[in-house]
Amino acid sequence: MMDILQQLLAGFAIALQPINLFWALVGCLLGTAIGVLPGIGPALTIALLLPVTAQVAPESAFIMFAGILYGALYGGSTTSILLNMPGESGSVMTAIEGNRMARNGRGAAALATSAIGSFVAGTLGTLALTFLAPTIAELAFIFGPEDYFALMILSFTSVAVVMGTSRVRGFTALFFGLALGTIGIDTQTGQSRMTFGTLELLDGISFTVVLVSLFAVGETLYVASRQARTAGVVYPLKGGAWMTREDWKRSWKPWLRGALIGFPIGSLPAGGTEIPTFLSYTVERRLSEKPEEFGNGAIEGVAGPEAANNAAAAGILVPLLTLGLPSTATAAVLLAAFQNYGLQPGPLLFATNPGLLWGLIASLFVGNVILLILNLPLVGMWVRLLLIPRPYIYGGIVIFALVGVWGLSTSWMDLLLMCGIGLIGYVARVYDFPIAPALIGLILGPQAEIQLRRALAVSQGDWSVLVGTPIAATLLAIAALVIFLPFFVAKFRGAMHESKA
Amino acid sequence: MLKRSFLTGVIALAFSAGLAAAEPAKVLIPANPGGGWDGAGRETMAAFNKSGVFTDGVSFTNKGGAAGTIGLAEFVRTAEGDDNALLVTGVIMVGGAISNKTPVSLDNTTPLARMTNEYNAIAVPADSAIKTPQDFLAALKADPGALSVGGGSAGGVDHVLLALLAKQAGAPVDKINFVSFSGGEILASLGGGKIKAAISGASEFRDFAKSGRIRIIAVTGPNRVEGLDVPTLKETGIPIEIGNWRGFVGAPGMSEAGRKTWLDRFEKLHASDAWKETLKAHGWEDAYLAGDEFKAFIKAEESNWTAALKDVGILK
Amino acid sequence: MSSLDQRKAARPWWLGVAIFAMGALWLYGAAGIASTTNYIGLGPAAMVQVAGGGLAILGILLVIQALRGETFAAQDEEGADAAAPPSRPAFLLALAGVAMPLLTMKMLGFPITAMLAFTLVTHAFGSRRTLLDLAIGALIGTLSWYGFELLGIELGPFIPLLR
Repeated sequence: MMDILQQLLAGFAIALQPINLFWALVGCLLGTAIGVLPGIGPALTIALLLPVTAQVAPESAFIMFAGILYGALYGGSTTSILLNMPGESGSVMTAIEGNRMARNGRGAAALATSAIGSFVAGTLGTLALTFLAPTIAELAFIFGPEDYFALMILSFTSVAVVMGTSRVRGFTALFFGLALGTIGIDTQTGQSRMTFGTLELLDGISFTVVLVSLFAVGETLYVASRQARTAGVVYPLKGGAWMTREDWKRSWKPWLRGALIGFPIGSLPAGGTEIPTFLSYTVERRLSEKPEEFGNGAIEGVAGPEAANNAAAAGILVPLLTLGLPSTATAAVLLAAFQNYGLQPGPLLFATNPGLLWGLIASLFVGNVILLILNLPLVGMWVRLLLIPRPYIYGGIVIFALVGVWGLSTSWMDLLLMCGIGLIGYVARVYDFPIAPALIGLILGPQAEIQLRRALAVSQGDWSVLVGTPIAATLLAIAALVIFLPFFVAKFRGAMHESKA
Repeated sequence: MLKRSFLTGVIALAFSAGLAAAEPAKVLIPANPGGGWDGAGRETMAAFNKSGVFTDGVSFTNKGGAAGTIGLAEFVRTAEGDDNALLVTGVIMVGGAISNKTPVSLDNTTPLARMTNEYNAIAVPADSAIKTPQDFLAALKADPGALSVGGGSAGGVDHVLLALLAKQAGAPVDKINFVSFSGGEILASLGGGKIKAAISGASEFRDFAKSGRIRIIAVTGPNRVEGLDVPTLKETGIPIEIGNWRGFVGAPGMSEAGRKTWLDRFEKLHASDAWKETLKAHGWEDAYLAGDEFKAFIKAEESNWTAALKDVGILK
Repeated sequence: MSSLDQRKAARPWWLGVAIFAMGALWLYGAAGIASTTNYIGLGPAAMVQVAGGGLAILGILLVIQALRGETFAAQDEEGADAAAPPSRPAFLLALAGVAMPLLTMKMLGFPITAMLAFTLVTHAFGSRRTLLDLAIGALIGTLSWYGFELLGIELGPFIPLLR
């Protein structure tokens, strides 16, 4: 323990050098900027910066990358909250409550709880990375495909809480997402599915295209068609420029719970950052004392998922730094960056290159502080973006959408999909179909399918393997509880009520 | 009036600035930024610049999808006769063009040079009873379904290697249990003993093997891999050599002069120190093969892959 | 429009039919996926069948609901009044802005396409300052194109026709 503290202090000595602070600042700014753009994530940015950083000392380069990694998460929540336009899959859940808050004039509070929550969870995640990494990393070897499958099933229960007013419409959205997710080459067998003979569909429909189309394009079409000629502008700061005492009271627990959910799942090789946000949103909604506020701008629904998202990002570094295992695209690019400097992450790196490693970890702490300092004063400015005349906001949204969609692979098919799925997003708004279940289906469907089929392939078709490990059995049991408990509680309460009467 | 002409001026200025940008070598990368082909393309062009062989600048276009065949189709359609257009290519594209039955293939392009190769390795969990390639073949023959083997995507190099090994062992190729993975998950699954064996890039396994959780039993190149005390398949009497090679092709209808110029440049690059540093930094094996020999090599790969993809059931 | 009229209007039985058709398409597609001979616990068609079957059933349920008179009320969005009569011209202008890239992106390139799409959408939202909108659109489009060029990604040629 003392040893770790000493090393960490040495790391801070590196991270706090003026030149490295400068690189951290550059990374944070760049990260925030790309986080705002849909489809342009930290993985892509770091990949493109790799050749540039050949001129820089490794410490400085990684400190900048750390800034990009965390900065993108801070930036990603801004567009979700203010414009209902999540740029990355990890901020889909933030948009649900966050954008409602912004419409009620509480955008500033939503941005603030998201920034502070990101800071709290990012710091907790980094602390866990510092002190628990080798232990947590062992999880990677314990989790098998059946355990991942159970985790996906548990995450699927989050659909139940974003269902909207009608089960039939909610499930329709979910199955629409599942259906889109099957398009493309099946990785397990190499067979093409639902591609209708087009090469462009062989890799499936890109998640960014669906995200941008359903949210940004669908919303633009809908608002354009329904704007009342006299609609008054919502004054964006109606609900105050800052979090109220009650906001704080309602936020701190979701921050901690989000961090607790996000970090371990993020540190699993197939965990990712989306699953924790789904789980956190479900947990907050189930635990809330005011569940009726969910769907109308409940601050817990922003605080929890944002914290989970950031803690998961710290978690991703666990298998990378301790085992040399890249679990996400971002981690894979960071691994390539290490290799560019002739370094190999893993247990040996702690021995051979402690300065770099502890400098990197220290810079994660520093980056979080920089981002908090950058973002809190910006909250007021971001919110005032909503004062831009409506034609220009939506005109700008469409250009951003084009950047995200066309920038992916300059594919005409993607533009066609944007138009088509955008129209579907419009129809969904007109007839009150929820959007979130479709995205959950699209994100989780293919992952769940792959894990299920891997589990069955390894077990040679024995389905009992799905409950064959303690982890899988426990997770499935929790999933069953999440689905059926509210039902029983309601019955029980009803019975109590009757007996009283 | 003044305002109107000012605004028109802004529009004109915005566009003319873009047109002024010069555009020398145009490299089409048939994958999204950040992947293996992207690195190969950008790093090779950087080495060109560093070595001073070709310093006129480069513009990159990423056009990913369908194992690189979308980029290939785009290249054949748009770059016709352009002496400065290059396409990054590799074995994945050869396989992709066959299994996706694309109307265009590498035959439509002008092969220039194969530059790198990344050979595969076969690994097992550290406590596995399989110690040698022969043990592996025996296990495969005994019960192919029970030997779950992880690898990259189905129809890729890893899958084809497993099929070749099954054939070698005399096991039914349609019974092999290939489990596809992406990213670092395969290492965790192998290290945790969830799968019985795995096939992946040699350098990926080499670094992870240092942790003592997995054991590499063979590599698939013509020579042993530096820093690895592991035999090649050929050494142990299994006549299989397979790897993930990458290279460059020119446009269809490239002029003879243009082809000579680029062949000359690739030769100079291959001899330069900058290139050797690049190879070392990325753990790539030198696999330089240029001009007509490269062309013949692509032909041979195409027929090998057609046979192999039929064997694994991807091609009907 | 009174709420009664709206309830009448919002009986989208055709939506149920469309969802059913999509499900049927997926089921049909699943039948065409070659089941591989390889050893594997669950084939590539299974998930497609689940998704298709689910959509088909839900499509039928939606038709039943619509015929029974269940309301499919529009959502209140930011600055959008669900009760307001939909404005067809505004919708078509915005749709044109979104569809424009299909025609122009390949020939005219990103900056010009962005300029046109921006102007169409701003006009859908009631702006009438065409020249100003064109200028702003051109500026944002060109700046985005440059930004990506700096990062090393080309959003296609600047103006493909001139290349």
